Amino acid sequence: MLNKQQIKLYLGSIVLLFAIFTFHVEASDQPPLTHSLTTIAPPIVAASLRLENMDEELIDIKSLKGKTIVINFWATWCPPCRREMTSLEKLHLETKDNNVVVLAVNIGEDIETVFSFINSIEPSPTFPILFDKDSLAMEQWKVIGLPTTYIVNPKGKIVYKAIGGREFDHPDILKRVSHLNGLNKDENKK
Amino acid sequence: MNQIKLLTLIIFTLLLTPCIAEEKKSSTDPTIWEKTEKGVTFSLKQLYPDQVKAFYIGRGFTKDQIKSYAETCVYTAVLRNDKASGRIHFLRKNWTVKNKDKEQNIQENSEWLNLFKKKKVSPPALIAFRLSQLPEEQEYDPNGDWNQGMLSINTPIGTTFDITIDWDIKGNPYELKLKEVRCAKQATD
Repeated sequence: MLNKQQIKLYLGSIVLLFAIFTFHVEASDQPPLTHSLTTIAPPIVAASLRLENMDEELIDIKSLKGKTIVINFWATWCPPCRREMTSLEKLHLETKDNNVVVLAVNIGEDIETVFSFINSIEPSPTFPILFDKDSLAMEQWKVIGLPTTYIVNPKGKIVYKAIGGREFDHPDILKRVSHLNGLNKDENKK
Repeated sequence: MNQIKLLTLIIFTLLLTPCIAEEKKSSTDPTIWEKTEKGVTFSLKQLYPDQVKAFYIGRGFTKDQIKSYAETCVYTAVLRNDKASGRIHFLRKNWTVKNKDKEQNIQENSEWLNLFKKKKVSPPALIAFRLSQLPEEQEYDPNGDWNQGMLSINTPIGTTFDITIDWDIKGNPYELKLKEVRCAKQATD
């Protein structure tokens, strides 16, 4: 009979082994992620987005007006979504003190599934993860494939889009996201 | 000891199923068919019936519900706009598969979804199915837009086929053909 301590140790070892295995497979056998962003010209008004987070609290992007928002639509079963998640966390850490909010909208999965995944990657996401259980928000945002990421400027307009996995902590993306935060106020007024 | 075995089985089943659909990118891998034409890259890698079943059972299907799909020769498809001259647009229903003298189009997602609804597949599983397929219509900008998804070819196991995909840039048509793609029964075939 195993006691609680032994079970915890056992489960911890399995999760760690899986994380190492996943990292190895995903880092070595997949096409490289790029760092391009498609400019939306002219910028278009972002659709509404009001969804629950991991703590079942409603998050409404209306309340984030005045900030740059990076909105990533994803699922745990989608390989490129999993690959880019750590780079989104690095983008979040690099920009969170500079008026940028990163949100990841999970499509169609439950909290337990998402929780297991985010605890298996390093760095584990600390930005809000929202749940679009019936995929209605995804349809409103005209997302066709996963992952898809939109970048919304402080005026509430979509200025960049990326279809497919990206390296979000690449200096080019960090620079373009940071650039929206008032460094070029004229551009945000468009 | 039995407890350890049981825990191992449960944990690895839960943790490994999300990996099933992953692409193995290698220019020397004989199970990957890949070609680049005018800056657009398309690749196929076969997913064997047991792999497809395991993936979808992990998403909420039963073995019976996914059986008919899993046995249609399913591939992980990747389509990328690396450096085409502009934004590409495609309609998957225009793509053709030629097996010996028979030519057919790719079966539409709606046909599968109707079948699954009759089999009472749960709504979250239907969402996962729809989104895990290569999109039926999509646009990719150059320098990196791409999608990875499953593609059912619906050709007999053990045969080979040619697949021709097409897209347009501002109405100008382009196409790419992968020749003699094999649909094996299992990985060792």
